[in-house]
Amino acid sequence: MTTERPVLLVVDDEVRILTALRRVLRREAYEILTAETPAEALRLLDAHRVDLVLSDHKMPGMSGLALLAAAARKQPAAGRVLITGWTEEVPAEDLAAIGVRALLPKPWDDADLKATLRKALGR
Amino acid sequence: MRGAFKEGLAPVSGPRRGAPDHSGSTPDLRLRALEHVRVAGLVPHRPSGRFRDIPQPVVCDGASPLTGTSLVVRILVVLPTLREADGDRFGILPALRRLGGEARIEVAASADACVARVREDDVDLVVVDARLGAECTSLLETLRFGQTPAIVVMVDAEPAAALDAHRHGAADCVAAGPELADTLPAVALEQIRRARALREQGAAEQRLERLERLNDAIVRTIPAALAVLDGGHRLLAVNPEFVRSFGVSAEGAAGRALDDVLPRDLLETGGVEELLARAAAGEPAPARVGRMVMSGGAARAFDLRATRLDAEGRVLLVLSDVSEREHLARRIAELQHYNENIIQNMNSALLVVDPDGVIAFANPTAERILGAQALPGRKIWDWFPTTPRDKVLMARTLAHGARFRGAETVITLRDGGLVPIGISCAPLAGADGRSLGAVAIFQDLSEIKGLQRQALQNEKLASIGQLAAGVAHEINNPMGFIHANLMQMAEYLSDLRRLWERVLALQNAVRTADAEAIRRHSDDLDRLAEEVDAAFVVADFAKAVRESQEGSERIRHIVQDLRDFSRHDTGEQALADVNECLDSTANIVWTMMKHSVVLKRSYEDLPRLRCYPMQLKQVFMNLLMNAYQAIAEQVGRSGETGEIRLATRLDGDGLVIEVSDTGVGIVRENLGRIFDPFFTTKEVGVGTGLGLSTSFGIVQRHGGTIRVRSEPGEGATFEVVLPLEREDGEADEANA
Repeated sequence: MTTERPVLLVVDDEVRILTALRRVLRREAYEILTAETPAEALRLLDAHRVDLVLSDHKMPGMSGLALLAAAARKQPAAGRVLITGWTEEVPAEDLAAIGVRALLPKPWDDADLKATLRKALGR
Repeated sequence: MRGAFKEGLAPVSGPRRGAPDHSGSTPDLRLRALEHVRVAGLVPHRPSGRFRDIPQPVVCDGASPLTGTSLVVRILVVLPTLREADGDRFGILPALRRLGGEARIEVAASADACVARVREDDVDLVVVDARLGAECTSLLETLRFGQTPAIVVMVDAEPAAALDAHRHGAADCVAAGPELADTLPAVALEQIRRARALREQGAAEQRLERLERLNDAIVRTIPAALAVLDGGHRLLAVNPEFVRSFGVSAEGAAGRALDDVLPRDLLETGGVEELLARAAAGEPAPARVGRMVMSGGAARAFDLRATRLDAEGRVLLVLSDVSEREHLARRIAELQHYNENIIQNMNSALLVVDPDGVIAFANPTAERILGAQALPGRKIWDWFPTTPRDKVLMARTLAHGARFRGAETVITLRDGGLVPIGISCAPLAGADGRSLGAVAIFQDLSEIKGLQRQALQNEKLASIGQLAAGVAHEINNPMGFIHANLMQMAEYLSDLRRLWERVLALQNAVRTADAEAIRRHSDDLDRLAEEVDAAFVVADFAKAVRESQEGSERIRHIVQDLRDFSRHDTGEQALADVNECLDSTANIVWTMMKHSVVLKRSYEDLPRLRCYPMQLKQVFMNLLMNAYQAIAEQVGRSGETGEIRLATRLDGDGLVIEVSDTGVGIVRENLGRIFDPFFTTKEVGVGTGLGLSTSFGIVQRHGGTIRVRSEPGEGATFEVVLPLEREDGEADEANA
């Protein structure tokens, strides 16, 4: 592993989802950080340079959208992707305002997920 | 004006006393009488001898010669002197005494004494001794204008002297002499009677005058226009009201034709000509109503009557202004019409029934709802016998005057159809307090009931929608990673399959003992194993399987919860464990709130309750949802959590279920309204405002109560109490 690899921060209150995502992205050339709460995610954002934040939406305490907004303030250069089972419930104008690059459904399609992340990272 | 009218009506009045200015057809009767006396008395009465032998004087037609006059008569005798010798030389006093005890006879010694006596008292007759001479003449002159007749007793029976006495006012002259005892009482009696008659006539005149004044006052003050018309319909007299009503002066009206004075429209509409003609002919003329339009445009109506006054064809025309009366009558008719309109067209049914329940009145809406025409006469029990309770309801008003308002009941139609109605009933009592029956107003609630059902259905669907969303979220997460894991396991499997192929190839080489092949396949296998990271794949495969199993277990659990929740979903009554109902509901609801709510449960063992489990679950769900929403509002996005405590206990004969939350609480002014239908403090779209009112209804149907304690910012506690035993009637109603 080299430090050249893009760093992904994956956030979901469901640890099994984090594991599953890690499995899917096992062969992608990413360095993956995971957080089970938005608070932990914000701490990681303070400690590491991140290329892309992939966050769940419905989480206790803070919504994924709010987390991405906070991430945008901390590391504006990092890409932002939201993954949620309720894509239709997230207002498009909010996504645009926060600069969310993509919205992924849950459950996701692996190929779709991989392609979306590559695209979000500008590759 | 008075004069003008008197000109017409006055002729019925007689002559005035002291004003003998009448002549012709109305002579002064008193004068006439005097004239008659003069003629009759030209020759003084001579003794006829007729009375001489008659012991009782004068007349014999009664007990007393004064019968028919008065009980007492006063006679004043004027003598030239009171000396015994000369005093009553003619024997006047003895002669008069023959009249009997009723005659009070006094004696005056001079003309002056006589006049004074006459003035101070009622003297019926003065008898003068002619020997008074000149004094006699002046006395007669003095008395002639009074009411007291004077008789002169003279010695000489000279016609000239008698005539002279008459000229000066004597009522009669009597010759002195032996016959005096007979003649004087007779003449005295005649004069007294005549004077009495005259006085009575005077009283009649007074009565007439009073009548005239009364007549005059009536004519002046009566609120009707009066006119006296001659045969040619010319005005002879009118009263002030006529002048006011038709704007003509009394003087101007006199002699004018009625056609000139009354407006044409009044004459025509009132049929005045015919009315007057019939009155003049003495035919009965029914009253007519005539109308006129005033110059200002205001319309007036007159009641017209006419009466013939005399044979000459004079007619009294009476015009009573009935404009106000007509206006009021019209107004009353309008109001009646208005009320009638309301009653006929209102959307509520109106029934009036007698004490036996027989319909006395029904409006069209009543006919429509009851589905029958010609309701009066029929008994209300034809429609209100559905349950004993309803019958009691109506019967109570009729029997005891009980009132009820907005009661809901059901009526039965002839075809068996049921119509839900809201009914208000009040007793009808007569002025004497006797019951006249009852009046009932009711509305067809079918439509409202339908809307209510629809609203409740919507409320249910909204709750179900929220529940479904929560459950879907809970299932979606495990579904998400199971799905991802399966994809990954498929990839792992394909890696492992490739390895397996190498293993089989190696195994084959071993079997054939081909060293070269064994080394090659072994190298392949090592390379591939490294390539696919076989150790990781095997380990992670197992891990993925475990995690997926765990995920599927979670889904199974959720489905189990759903099944628990939906158990008893038959709508039927059942013996159920209330703890189970509460818990299964909480499990489902909690799925959507677990991020922000800590759920604490404290259940006591409860006996099973005969209830509608699904309905109770709906109550618990509503309470849990409210608690969750109150907490969500309280914590906002702070990331903090609230707490919902569920507690059940057995309290006497009832089960107590408490749902407490640490949410925003309820402001005091809303506490009394939260169970009202459609009352909500939630945003549009969040709540229908029917949750708690539905819950209230369900608990009530179970014979229980639901109460709330809350302070703003301090959360809220809802307490549901369900009795273990309840009446069957109420349980049946839950099906309604």
